[in-house]
Amino acid sequence: MAVNAKAVKQRIKSAKNTKKITKAMELVSAAKMRKAVEAAENTRLYATLARELLHRLAFLDEPNYPLLELRPVKKVLVVVMSSNRGLCGGFNANVFKHTKAVLENTKRLGEHRVAENRDVPEFTTDIEIDILGVGKKSAWFAKKHGYNLPAVFDDLHEKPQIEDILSVSDMAIRGYIDKTYDKVLVSYTHYISGLSQEVKVRQVLPVSPHDLEKMGNELPSGKGESLTADTAEIERYLFEPDLETIIETILPKLVEVQLYQAILESTASEHSSRMVAMKNASDNAGDLIEDLTREYNKARQAAITQEIAEIAGGAAALS
Amino acid sequence: MITFTIVTPQGVLYKDSIDKVTIPTQAGAITVYPEHIPVVSALRAGELNIHKGNDVVNLAISTGVVEIRPNSIVYVLADTAERSNEIDVDRAELAKKRAEELFAKEEKMLDIDFARLQAKIEKEIVRSSVGRKYRNV
Repeated sequence: MAVNAKAVKQRIKSAKNTKKITKAMELVSAAKMRKAVEAAENTRLYATLARELLHRLAFLDEPNYPLLELRPVKKVLVVVMSSNRGLCGGFNANVFKHTKAVLENTKRLGEHRVAENRDVPEFTTDIEIDILGVGKKSAWFAKKHGYNLPAVFDDLHEKPQIEDILSVSDMAIRGYIDKTYDKVLVSYTHYISGLSQEVKVRQVLPVSPHDLEKMGNELPSGKGESLTADTAEIERYLFEPDLETIIETILPKLVEVQLYQAILESTASEHSSRMVAMKNASDNAGDLIEDLTREYNKARQAAITQEIAEIAGGAAALS
Repeated sequence: MITFTIVTPQGVLYKDSIDKVTIPTQAGAITVYPEHIPVVSALRAGELNIHKGNDVVNLAISTGVVEIRPNSIVYVLADTAERSNEIDVDRAELAKKRAEELFAKEEKMLDIDFARLQAKIEKEIVRSSVGRKYRNV
């Protein structure tokens, strides 16, 4: 019995240590999550303004910009936002599951989601897929399912800056302009609240007002101002130096900001699912400690009882 | 008064009602007074001066777009913007030097990298010059 008590004590100690670690990770994730959510909210106004401006430029009338060009979809680039580190519950698994489902639905993948009144090129179902990974885990996903993996960005900051995303957006834009890719998608985890996140797949290129809008509306909390109030007729506007320059400046920015938003949301979701996972782990460790303590006390009590019985027995034998 | 807002992807950097503002655009610097006609213009890296009463706020901004709306509402959408007193001149200088080195080294560069690097050098030059100009004020 005494040996057992010692073993139990050891286990309690190790469970306590684990609990300390998971508790610390939980708190750290909570703090990081708050920051990430704040950053995601901060980009909101920029994204809204850029989108509105583009809307009002009514660019759909003359879609002669390389970033708006529609082509039959033969090759797709998917930017998959995953985490660098594990221990975050089902975060990565969910992203991969959803992405896989979308990628297998070749019929929808081949379609173009655009406003009416534009000629949609015929769609193909024979589509090649490239994965552009963000986060180490995405490389594993591409390898497992046999997708091409032209690049992985796994050195992103804890707190992503807009500069960090430039290499990703550059690659997407360049690939689209030189016609390597006919469509660029981003797959990320949308942060709804601390407890619920949802994986979304959005079209980045060709720039689609529909997808931009959806992404804008999804941002956490309606803190951003509504700016659509005064939509003055665009004819009254002057363009300096000219309309083309403006559109060419703003289109890549929209791509950047869309990807930036996605990565911020992804970061927020990663931290929050890690927080939840760690909270569960801490709770479990707490339960385990409780059980083990009870067992230890029982063993200890049994040892004492036995000792007393032995002493009593010895005394009885002497008298 | 102009309702003036500078927005970067990092958030709203400046928001106030002001008297006038000088904005560097690709077609040259423009100064906006209240009741300006609506204009959309592409920015270039440069110095932006906000005048409010007797106060002047100087910022270094990089590329982006400015939108002047009717009713004296002005939005500046910039990649980055920094107040002159927040600029670390030495760091800006270093960053510029680094960018220039990279520029000299990579000869067979893709056009897009070339443009980006050039924009970066321009931005850092502006940062350090704006930072230095108002350092002792």
